[in-house]
Amino acid sequence: MSSDVTRRMVLPVSAAAMLAGYAGITGKGTSDSKARWVAPQARSHVAIVRAESYSGDLAMRIREGIRECGLQVRGKTILLKPNLVEFDSSTAINTDVALVAAALDVFRSLGAADVRIGEGPGHRRDTYDLAEQAGYRGGIARFDDLFTDLNRDDVSEMHGFADEPSMFFPNTALKADLIVSLPKMKTHHWAGATLSMKNLFGLVPGSVYGWPKNKLHWIGIDRSIFELNRNFRRTFAIVDGVIGMEGNGPIQGTPKKCGALVMGPDLAAVDATCCRIMGIDPEKLEYLRMAAAIGNVAESRIEQRGEKISAVRTNFELSPNFKKVRL
Amino acid sequence: MDTPILGLRREHLRRLQNADGGWGYFAGKQSWFEPTAYATLALYGDKESAGAVAGAWRLLRSWQLADGGWKPAAHIENSTWVTALGVTLCTVLEEYGRPFDSGLRWLLRTTGAESSLSFRVREMAGLADLGRSTKFRGWPWGGGAASWVEPTAHSLVALKKAAVRRPGGEIRTRIDEGERLLTTVRARDGGWNYGSPSVLGIELPSYPETTALALLGLQEHTPVGALERLRRLEGGAPSRLADAWASISMSAVGEVSGCRPPRAAPADLMIAALEALAAPGGNAGLFRTHPAKAERTT
Repeated sequence: MSSDVTRRMVLPVSAAAMLAGYAGITGKGTSDSKARWVAPQARSHVAIVRAESYSGDLAMRIREGIRECGLQVRGKTILLKPNLVEFDSSTAINTDVALVAAALDVFRSLGAADVRIGEGPGHRRDTYDLAEQAGYRGGIARFDDLFTDLNRDDVSEMHGFADEPSMFFPNTALKADLIVSLPKMKTHHWAGATLSMKNLFGLVPGSVYGWPKNKLHWIGIDRSIFELNRNFRRTFAIVDGVIGMEGNGPIQGTPKKCGALVMGPDLAAVDATCCRIMGIDPEKLEYLRMAAAIGNVAESRIEQRGEKISAVRTNFELSPNFKKVRL
Repeated sequence: MDTPILGLRREHLRRLQNADGGWGYFAGKQSWFEPTAYATLALYGDKESAGAVAGAWRLLRSWQLADGGWKPAAHIENSTWVTALGVTLCTVLEEYGRPFDSGLRWLLRTTGAESSLSFRVREMAGLADLGRSTKFRGWPWGGGAASWVEPTAHSLVALKKAAVRRPGGEIRTRIDEGERLLTTVRARDGGWNYGSPSVLGIELPSYPETTALALLGLQEHTPVGALERLRRLEGGAPSRLADAWASISMSAVGEVSGCRPPRAAPADLMIAALEALAAPGGNAGLFRTHPAKAERTT
């Protein structure tokens, strides 16, 4: 592609991103971006719906959660961002294909203008074969047409990410009106838990930062989770807690049945709720302490819809270095 | 003469070359250094592809930055690991002028962030721990990150090929340290994960693609058991990328892989290029950094 075409492409992307509320794409520095760190004034709605298995009517469950949260998607371009990590299909590493397929159907039926699926796995480079092994190609009609490998998409520059002069992100993510984070409910040996906010690591392109995206580790995992969520503000979360992962997550842990989906537009509030379900004190996780600047983490600031936390709470075994965060 | 797979892949690559001379990771997308470098190597020496190779090199040459490193795409003004591929390309195309020398100098002065003075001081004070030895210098994917297996392996290939033209102590030292780093981070099962052999004391498994790449970097003295580990990993992950690297790596050490790519070309142009390199009669030998051994048929 010529540099001319690239320039023509980037300008509308930047404009669209500003309209869409991406804090960093304006070309302003970090200090200016900080002025836009606004935690929600009102309490955040988080829906918990029961989903005992992947063979049930997940679409109905997702609709229920979306309705509880008052999300409107008509006319919007939506990017579904599942968590695709490893080839091993025998464990609960990846977001289950049934949930992704159901979300696709629901957002289409609610009048979204376009629904795409995108992911940039952290360390396996062969994304399409990874998707094949996770059952995505077989379980989602026309998957290859709908899917973007976010590691190797065309990219545009964003300013105001941590203390970096700039960072590059995939155009598919920058152009979306709404990014729906579809993570697996898992413990994580570096962050304590990996949920809807950490799932945005998959927006960082490996083509620029490598596999794994080690730059984020040097910026700081907690800080990077915060910065990604501060910069990508038009988001909604549907957490796959039907079967999660406990112990040495996010890869080497063991499956843990929870039987719930957790949904909401404030990803910090969704993650805090997931933590309480998993028996983790969210206010003891560094990334959620930071996230209090952009979302609601305190229980008193979250309006729970659907099931109560106590109805689905199941303590996840924690990584040894996170034993102290047990709720 | 081209074997069927080689001919198919080369034709596929020629057809999907961007107007600027490069290749995207996927058809119709912006050109990136990485797929362009592999496609250039895959098409090199093929009469029908001479124009495509010349156009690709013109583009890549224009992407070299003032610091001597190469940028990964037209609008990203940072030198990254692809500089290793740039130096390897210079040796293949016999372009030993300024681009080669400045690219080589960039590689010689680039190290992972764990080799920085500030990290070493924090490490000695117990304030930082990478979870593995930081004694030897390798190469990172980009600035502000640690050394990893894949960029280190590519840098070793580039330096070893460059050393034929520019022998010297500095280049020998970096090759030696890079090899020691790869040996240090070898997984307990005999192969390689992406960077560390363990996390928080828990062992990580090796992967076929990174094991293949590490072997490519260490091809003159393949560690005992590493080739056997790669053979066991072959086909374990249903990954065309892994299969292609395994074939290329085995070719470099005079072995023949059991992997055979499907006839249909992948949508991923980088993998298409690697499959062309790996195909019988392909240019996998361009990654060889030592005199060729006779290939053994398995």
